[in-house]
Amino acid sequence: MLRQLRAALRAGVVTEPGVATESAPLEVVGARLREEIHRRFKRSLHIRQVDAGSCNGCELEISGLTGPHYDFERFGLHLVASPRHADCLLVTGPVTLNMAEPLRRTWEATPDPKFVIAVGDCGRDGGIFRGSYAVVGGVSSVVPVDAIIAGCPPSPAALLAGLLAAIGRRP
Amino acid sequence: MTALVYVLAVIVGLAAGAVGVGGMLGIGMTWRLPALLPLGGVSLVLDPLAGVFLALVGFAAVPASLYALGDTRRTPRGRVAYLLFVGAMAVVPLAANALTFLLAWELMSLASYVLVMHDRESREAIRAGWVYAVMTHAGVVCLVVGMLLLGTWTGSFEVGAWRAAALAPGARNLVWTLLALGFAVKAGVIPLHVWLPLAHPAAPSHVSALMSGVMIKLGVYGLIRISLDWLGDGPAWWGTAILLAGAVSAVVGVLSAIVDRDLKRVLAFSSIENMGIILIGLGAGVLYHAAGLPALAVLGLTAALYHAVNHAAFKTLLFLGAGAVVHATGTRDMDALGGLIKRMPWTTACFLTGAVAIAALPPLNGFVSEWLTFQALLQNLLIERPGVNLVFALGIAALALTGGLAVACFVRVFGISFLAVPRSDASARAHETEVPPRLAMTMLAVACLALGLGATAVAPALARVGSELIGVVGSLALGDALTLDVSGNFASLSVPVVAVALTLAGLGIVGGLAITGRGRVRRYETWSCGRMLQTPRMEYTATAFANPFKRVFHFFYRPVEQIDIAAHPASRLFVQRIEYANPTRSLFDDWLYRPLLDSVHRSVRVVRVLQSGSANLYLAYILLALLVMLVFA
Ligand code: SF4
Repeated sequence: MLRQLRAALRAGVVTEPGVATESAPLEVVGARLREEIHRRFKRSLHIRQVDAGSCNGCELEISGLTGPHYDFERFGLHLVASPRHADCLLVTGPVTLNMAEPLRRTWEATPDPKFVIAVGDCGRDGGIFRGSYAVVGGVSSVVPVDAIIAGCPPSPAALLAGLLAAIGRRP
Repeated sequence: MTALVYVLAVIVGLAAGAVGVGGMLGIGMTWRLPALLPLGGVSLVLDPLAGVFLALVGFAAVPASLYALGDTRRTPRGRVAYLLFVGAMAVVPLAANALTFLLAWELMSLASYVLVMHDRESREAIRAGWVYAVMTHAGVVCLVVGMLLLGTWTGSFEVGAWRAAALAPGARNLVWTLLALGFAVKAGVIPLHVWLPLAHPAAPSHVSALMSGVMIKLGVYGLIRISLDWLGDGPAWWGTAILLAGAVSAVVGVLSAIVDRDLKRVLAFSSIENMGIILIGLGAGVLYHAAGLPALAVLGLTAALYHAVNHAAFKTLLFLGAGAVVHATGTRDMDALGGLIKRMPWTTACFLTGAVAIAALPPLNGFVSEWLTFQALLQNLLIERPGVNLVFALGIAALALTGGLAVACFVRVFGISFLAVPRSDASARAHETEVPPRLAMTMLAVACLALGLGATAVAPALARVGSELIGVVGSLALGDALTLDVSGNFASLSVPVVAVALTLAGLGIVGGLAITGRGRVRRYETWSCGRMLQTPRMEYTATAFANPFKRVFHFFYRPVEQIDIAAHPASRLFVQRIEYANPTRSLFDDWLYRPLLDSVHRSVRVVRVLQSGSANLYLAYILLALLVMLVFA
């Protein structure tokens, strides 16, 4: 215990200094996102993430959004634990055969109005798994997709930009 | 024939109820048959307190007998015992001398013993009957010794003479302790309750309903008599003892109820809890009485009587409901029930009424009596003795904790047994009961509602009984036709207003949803994480519901984890079967009864040396006995 304390004291601060200025690209996107969400959803957008057979690369990037650097909850975005609570489904993966039905049920279980964003090249059309016997191929082949965020995997910044575009495009 | 017996029981019940109500309203009656028995013969006196309990016996016996009438195939045995049981219970509150009382009491105990043992093939019933017989007779021994002492010291076996006699404090305390122990066994006070959770599930449901609804109340009746009537004014420690026993019974009872899976055993434990609540009220009354505050004493006693009446209504109802469920499904295990709301809507509605009432939610009757008990306890600062105030504070805390846990307990009982999808084939094939049981349950459900809404009529009537017993001049003013006022403006409650407000709020919510949500409702299956296969095994179970309580009150339940994994002989990685059990252990069995029984066994083993089986030795005993007798003669 003491050893740990001493090590912690000796090491000092090792993280990089943040670049949180008003004009950083992240903050600009974030501010617009917050505005849009406020305007369209009355303060917050609840997202249910569905892994329909992804390699987990996309999940890593999505969970990066919740870390201290991006911290997307401050823009009014929130990951929830059940589709019953969600406004939006964030679907990753090429939709394996086994995940097709659960995905459909998840979509059914989400209350209306709802919208679906397919994430990653896999979600768009199957990506590197396209044509495999084990995948259906693309989220849109199972449930209606409202927006696509491409990339393999898309970076957190790309995800935010994609979310902004998806929200902004909605009537 | 069978039907005739139960019809007769209904008639007896109605008559007893009518006489009881008459007695409550002040019609006094005395019957004496001195020639019938030695030691003063049969002597029955109807006074207001006896009237209350007689009415309880009568009005609970009516639905219970009706229920039994519903399916006479269900109750082939124990008809005579049942009739005797009801009759004896009706005599107990009327008995006005020691012999009559003890005879009726013993008859009641024996008849109920026979009824508990009705299923002579089941080991469980035999064990229950055995424990019941031992415990109840230990209680009877205390009663007999206490009454004999009282009779010798006062020179009379008549109740009236006991009242007039002035006993020495030591003698009074001894007699009170003996009689209180005897009555406490019957009332199921912790730790003398062990027979109760065994006997209630073993007995047929209409009998458990009566045992729980009425018989254990007669223990309370006895406690009221000895603490406020027969032995004159008692010291404060009587009240303290009753209040603390009540507090412990309430908390331990509800804690035991909340983790049990057996539907009827849960109800039995909940009876212990409710007896605790009644005793808290009674204890407060006795304490106020000893402190010279008769008005508050009447309030405490009123709360106790009110809760006794209410408990008789809703516990009889719940046991009858449980009986209907057990009959329809063949199981008492809640984890095998479920989905009954669709299959037995009538029973479900009645059971729900009872559950809401027993959970003390307004506007039903349980709420009113628990509220009165609270009001009686909260005025304890008028007694300026810190020790006594501490006792009251413990009572308040216990009552509050009990109230919360009781709600959780009955959410669990109702939710697991009646809602969701059936957890077993038996439950899926369940069907609604016949008309007479439904009628019986409906009567009781209506009684629960009436005793709640009509609080302004019931409470003053019971308060009058209390004032009569304690001897307050004039009766307690308890507000007007709509509002119950306690101790001037200390507190007031209007159940009808609460009921109207709740109804309006409910209508508002339903109406609001209907208006705003029109056309936006979409029905879809229960969300289960997108699982393809949904089976009843994935439902929330009674065991799972109880688990948080097991953790929080770990020190009380002392659960043991047993995991038994059977692997394939070829490799331990191929698991064939996993058995998991997480049973709780009873503090009272382990720390009180086990050591007691062990020491009895040990001493018996020592004595057994005498009985060696050798005839020569026995002849020697006879010779020895003869010599001893010759020497002393
Ligand atoms: S898009 Fe790329 S990172 Fe995302 S799931 Fe597919 S393969 Fe993985």
